[in-house]
Amino acid sequence: MKSPVFVIAGYVLREAASRKFILAFMVGLTLVLATVALSLKLEVVDGALAATRLFGEVMRSNIMSVDVALRPIYRAAAYLVFYGGILFGIVACSDFAPGLLSPGRIEHLLALPLQRWHLLAGTFLGVMTLALGGTVYAAGGLTLIFGVKAGYWTMGPLIAGGLACVGFAAVYAVMLTTATLVRSAALCSAAGFVLLVGGILAGFRQDVSRYLESGFGRTAFDAVTLVLPRLSALATRAADLASSTPLEKGSLGMLLGGVLVFGLGALSVGFWHFEGKDC
Amino acid sequence: MDLHVPAGSAFGLIGPNGAGKTTFIKSVLGIVRPTAGTVRVLGGSPEDPAIRARIGYLPERLHLPGTWKSPAFLATVARLKGLKVDAGAHARLLERVGLSDAVDRRIGGYSKGMRQRLGLAAALLGEPALLVLDEPTDGIDPMGRLEVRRILQEEVQKGVTLFLNSHLLAETERVCDRVAILADGRVLREGRLEELAKAGARWRVRFAPGADAQALTAEGFVPAGGGREDGVYTVEAADVAVLNAALDRARSRGALLTELKREGADLEAVLVGAVGGPGVAA
Amino acid sequence: MESRGRRRVWLLGALLLFAAGAVLMFTGQGDTAPAPEKDVEFPRRMRSQDHARAEKRRTWVMPAAVDAGVAAPVKPRDPLLAALPRGPGRTAVVIEANALRYSPVGELLMDCLLRDGGKNLEQFKALSGVDPLQDLDRLVVTDEGVILSGDFSKAKYQELLGERVASDHGPGARVYEPGDTTFTLPDGGTQRGRMDTAVGTWNNQMLVFGKSPDSVKTVLDRMDGRGQEDGPPLLDENSTYGEMYGVLAVQTLAKLLGPDQAELAQRLTDVAQNVELHLDTSGDVAMVANVTGLDADKMTDLGKSLGGALSMARMKAQTEGKEDLAQLLDFAKVRPDGTSFKLELAVPLATLQEQLAWCREERQAAERAKTSP
Repeated sequence: MKSPVFVIAGYVLREAASRKFILAFMVGLTLVLATVALSLKLEVVDGALAATRLFGEVMRSNIMSVDVALRPIYRAAAYLVFYGGILFGIVACSDFAPGLLSPGRIEHLLALPLQRWHLLAGTFLGVMTLALGGTVYAAGGLTLIFGVKAGYWTMGPLIAGGLACVGFAAVYAVMLTTATLVRSAALCSAAGFVLLVGGILAGFRQDVSRYLESGFGRTAFDAVTLVLPRLSALATRAADLASSTPLEKGSLGMLLGGVLVFGLGALSVGFWHFEGKDC
Repeated sequence: MDLHVPAGSAFGLIGPNGAGKTTFIKSVLGIVRPTAGTVRVLGGSPEDPAIRARIGYLPERLHLPGTWKSPAFLATVARLKGLKVDAGAHARLLERVGLSDAVDRRIGGYSKGMRQRLGLAAALLGEPALLVLDEPTDGIDPMGRLEVRRILQEEVQKGVTLFLNSHLLAETERVCDRVAILADGRVLREGRLEELAKAGARWRVRFAPGADAQALTAEGFVPAGGGREDGVYTVEAADVAVLNAALDRARSRGALLTELKREGADLEAVLVGAVGGPGVAA
Repeated sequence: MESRGRRRVWLLGALLLFAAGAVLMFTGQGDTAPAPEKDVEFPRRMRSQDHARAEKRRTWVMPAAVDAGVAAPVKPRDPLLAALPRGPGRTAVVIEANALRYSPVGELLMDCLLRDGGKNLEQFKALSGVDPLQDLDRLVVTDEGVILSGDFSKAKYQELLGERVASDHGPGARVYEPGDTTFTLPDGGTQRGRMDTAVGTWNNQMLVFGKSPDSVKTVLDRMDGRGQEDGPPLLDENSTYGEMYGVLAVQTLAKLLGPDQAELAQRLTDVAQNVELHLDTSGDVAMVANVTGLDADKMTDLGKSLGGALSMARMKAQTEGKEDLAQLLDFAKVRPDGTSFKLELAVPLATLQEQLAWCREERQAAERAKTSP
């Protein structure tokens, strides 16, 4: 028998598949990838990127090892996938949870033989599956295009996409928890944005803290950003991984685990509140 | 509130707006937690998923995924109920609720009545021991209501306990054998329908024109409506023997009986009697 | 579990997870801001310090040629640049010994040079009277020999070259033919030897080493404007940037490529005319080689081939686990620009520091041994 969590995740995915703007996004993404694939021509000589043509126009560029030459592109793509993906996810997935918790649907679901946390966990899983799918599609497409055209294959962009998904997991967990408090897509989005900004600041907390006057303000900032997921730090590492450049000091595993654990914590708050809520 | 619904009964819940009927139903299903007291359903707590697995529920305003088709919706509900997805059984169920012609259409294109039928089908999935239906025939056309009523009666005959909340009192009257009247979160009256509707011993009698009014009055017949209706009387009779004796006396006075009807209270009258005044609805 | 109990578990779990998350992130990222990443600076043009250095070296006013009684005002020049060969196919590489010595890499190299605790250096100073670390300014390697510039006023010419046949060659210049040399050892004894190189001295500022007295004289004549060759010196003043710079004949460069790059070497000699090198050691060690030719298409193709060769070499180094070489080639790129292209290579200073750490250890050990009784 399938776990109700998976069934709810399937429910969310089926709902998502019917969303026109998500379909439009996928079509748009496909068009961008196809345009890049068709318009970009890379001349590779013995593993060096010798010439680049975009829409037939020769682009002035240096001749260097193809992996080194593609580093800035993969780096930019990693940042785009990370921040762009999270931003799109915040907007696109903001009404999944409020929709599921809407009157007429939530009573029906809660009357079924499933635990309340199954509903939230299933929604979370469904949205994360969606995010992972989109990321794999975008990052995989990019890897495929440059792999075929330049003969340079790297898992970097896909791993970077994975990091982006972990970052989004933390953001969406907060959005989901917000949905249990107020059934509003706009407020869920707002919560997501706030966490994203907070997460960016948390990644640069040492730099930002230096500019704050010492006292309560700085102490409060340090305390809050200590707990917040360090999204910008994760984004930097995603870009490093995507461009195969050495990572900054510190443990990526710990950082990644910390962001994920924060997400699970936020989700637990949602479970806690939803368990005691009358719908 | 203290309410007992016997297993296998068809129980109707009626009361004015804001009486707490829907809240009561939600608490029966564990959707709303009681601030005090306990709710026992099918011998257990409604918070127990195993108990809820034996309950079929149709909410008042069921929100259905508009882009899905009915078989997919039923399959998902079946999975969530922990049932094996049986496409054939689902097709039969859809046929039973009158949706066999609409299986290829998106739910978003369904009429309100069709959505209610699909909700009923979802509630019937897994052969529940208890059916909790909140306005099941809302938006369904008169012929459709007949079909739904038939389905509900079939379920009750199979031994399913039916808990019905409907603002259509006639429907409650026709389907349910027990009724509770709810107002301000309290049960005002509860019991078997005929017990609640029991009006005592008053009968309405119509005699053929020409009957001797004075003689009839002397025999205990009271002109109905203060004599505005010609030949119509009421008579008090504690039982059938007393009634027939009164009728024999009237006939001995030359009066010829043309119509006899027990003047009992219908559900509406019972409700009005219990709650007092207008504003009665689900 | 009852709902209330379950709620408590979720809340407690959430608090624990937040705490664990904070600890993990704190440990994972650390709490010190990472140092900003520095870009490798390639020597691509004259910088202000290069201009200032070149300006200071314009000390030599070449004797004016008497021409129909009209003497044009002559600007002071850098005598060393004037001494460089002229014309295509020649080689001259200038090493800014003084600047190199005080660069970060120079410090590392000093550790390597003095890893015996400075014993050999002291010996050399005692023998020659010249302190290479103080008196030497520039060292030039040409296809004719070697030129040293600096302050050689304390050089023991008489002791070192006194036995040789010598002659004056213009104002302030003297040429010593190859011959015997006597070295006075630190213990007071002497050692005789023979040097097959001719030596020229010029105003205690320059030492010229050549295969023959004529080649030395040719160099000295260029400085005095008496040279027979046409054209400007191989290096213009505007090309004197970096700690090492010069012009390499393509044939010389082709020989340096080695036998496994024979095809590329052949193409280089066929297509390219001139290779100008610049090495910067003010931070990381970065090199720019400006290869010029005549045919733009052929030069572009050559650039591509060279880029490919570098890429292949990098891949090979990566496959063979030669991380140092791979890192060196990580920065390798070719910048095509019409009839010329620039080849850029760099080695991060950190890599060199890591590689040459043993020199410092040996030097420190030697110095400790010297100071201990």
